[in-house]
Amino acid sequence: MGNEVSAKQILSAAEEIVKDVADFGDAVQAEVRNHTGGRRKNPYVFIEVAASKWRELALWLKKSKNVDYCSMVTGIHWPEKADATWQVVVHLLRTGVVNPPVTNKRVHEIKVDIDGLAGNSVPMEFEISMSIPDTREPSVPSVADIWVGADWNEKETWDLVGINFDGHVGMRRVLLPHDSPTGYHPLQKQHKLRYHDFNEMYDDPQGFGRKPEDSGRVK
Amino acid sequence: MAEMWISMGPQHPMTHGLWTLKVKIDGETVVDTEPDLGYIHRGVEKICEARDFTQITTYCDRLCYASANTWSHAYIYAAEDLLEVEVPERAEYIRMVAVELQRIASHLMWLGAYCPDVGNLTGLVWCLREREMMMDLLQELGGSRMHYNFPRVGGVKRDLPIGFALRCRAKLKLFLDRIQEYEALLDESTIFLVRTQGVGYAKAEEMINHGVSGPNVRAAGHNYDVRWAHPYSVYDELDWEPAVERPSIKGSDCYDRYRVRVEEMRQSALMILDGLDKIPGGADTHYQPGDPAIIGKAPARAAEGQTGFHHFEDSRGESMFYLAGGGEERGKHPYRVSIRSPMFITIPYASKCMIGYKIADIPAIMGSFDPCIGETDR
Repeated sequence: MGNEVSAKQILSAAEEIVKDVADFGDAVQAEVRNHTGGRRKNPYVFIEVAASKWRELALWLKKSKNVDYCSMVTGIHWPEKADATWQVVVHLLRTGVVNPPVTNKRVHEIKVDIDGLAGNSVPMEFEISMSIPDTREPSVPSVADIWVGADWNEKETWDLVGINFDGHVGMRRVLLPHDSPTGYHPLQKQHKLRYHDFNEMYDDPQGFGRKPEDSGRVK
Repeated sequence: MAEMWISMGPQHPMTHGLWTLKVKIDGETVVDTEPDLGYIHRGVEKICEARDFTQITTYCDRLCYASANTWSHAYIYAAEDLLEVEVPERAEYIRMVAVELQRIASHLMWLGAYCPDVGNLTGLVWCLREREMMMDLLQELGGSRMHYNFPRVGGVKRDLPIGFALRCRAKLKLFLDRIQEYEALLDESTIFLVRTQGVGYAKAEEMINHGVSGPNVRAAGHNYDVRWAHPYSVYDELDWEPAVERPSIKGSDCYDRYRVRVEEMRQSALMILDGLDKIPGGADTHYQPGDPAIIGKAPARAAEGQTGFHHFEDSRGESMFYLAGGGEERGKHPYRVSIRSPMFITIPYASKCMIGYKIADIPAIMGSFDPCIGETDR
């Protein structure tokens, strides 16, 4: 084929988005970043948003910027940061996929003219980051009704990291057993990989010399 | 008639792995479904937080037992984004060969599993026969038959073995002929057509909104492919075009999803044949492991604040890794590894897709989306 979206196309489309995001004011900070590894250092759009503005931004991205695909929702626990203990990173894609056109009851498959892509039709990667201060019940607004693909991602983030999503219908355990204890979210950092610290694992790989912290206690 | 819930799985031929599909039926008709996952959740994301960047490759191989190489490569590209590594051109070509061979092997495994789903046992035997050729080639590269642990941060473990190009070309040319045999076998088979045509309609826009991508979307008539849309590796220098299928007005059915995967195997084979001709340094040269021609220099640590992610075209859709640096031992381990599994998102969609069809259509519809539970549960 010898044909793919060029870095120039991506860069101009990304700059356009960053310019338009400025209308949101200080609560939304956008910038064009570049991938740093590999053969191509393609630009992508990085947006830092306050959790309260996230839904508004998501709706705008979907309607005005044609962002149609939610790739992944990641939750991160930073116990040492008091003002940003919880971080939610959302990866979105603008794919530009539409239903193939129908003429005379005949469907015509779409083969995208890649050189002709410009503006809102250029495929684009988005990284959205939200920080939440230290709290026992972290939560951000859900976007599962905007991109249905976010639905199970949000379930997984709650299941493993313990970040809740306001407005998400049918939140439940997906990867852990359904009867896991309430409040048990293994990707939070207080849960160590084994019952002793990782560094000690190499000193005593079999764990013979150690006991669980809660040994002797009635369980 | 009264409605009732039945559980298909965790042990059921339809599931292609270990999970449960709860189906609400009214007579023979499916009226509601609810997938129940997590039976083989191994906590790979947590384990990776205590491994260094090279060790993680091994775990990523084991994410999917049918498509190990694509997963370790998906991780490696994200790790290179995190660690800011330059990759030699030759290594990119070797990776492309490894990934596309794996894609063929994965699609063959899918077709081999799908044929018995819809009542064609011959397909299973034929597909596994051809998969054997791909496994032999991958074994030459990675040293083992299933979990290759082939890529390294910055390059690849080993160069192409001497004589690999010769054997690879011969096998792929044979394979390209054999694809025509599959088409003759399946496209002419009344049973296969009756079971796959007209069931499991899915539309492109709906799928994208539900987070479904890859061959399933290309079957619905749009040639969106991460390999050209969010480009990486050397795909721009090769002679190929993304497989795309012409669906019906109602959307793509199971037959379209079969067709697009067969076409994708053909494109992958052409890609490899082309890549072996264009590889810098020549396909018959062999560099020793660790040579700068096949592996670049990579730092072992990533500081806090550094992040890396990469969208990758897996055999089943768009997969991605997100890595945050600054973990244990001053950044020797990642602080957080997050894995996007295409099937984790596709299985709920496929389950909704079968509402309105008969119970007998469930294996045909579910199988056509190519479920793999290893990556789903992680």
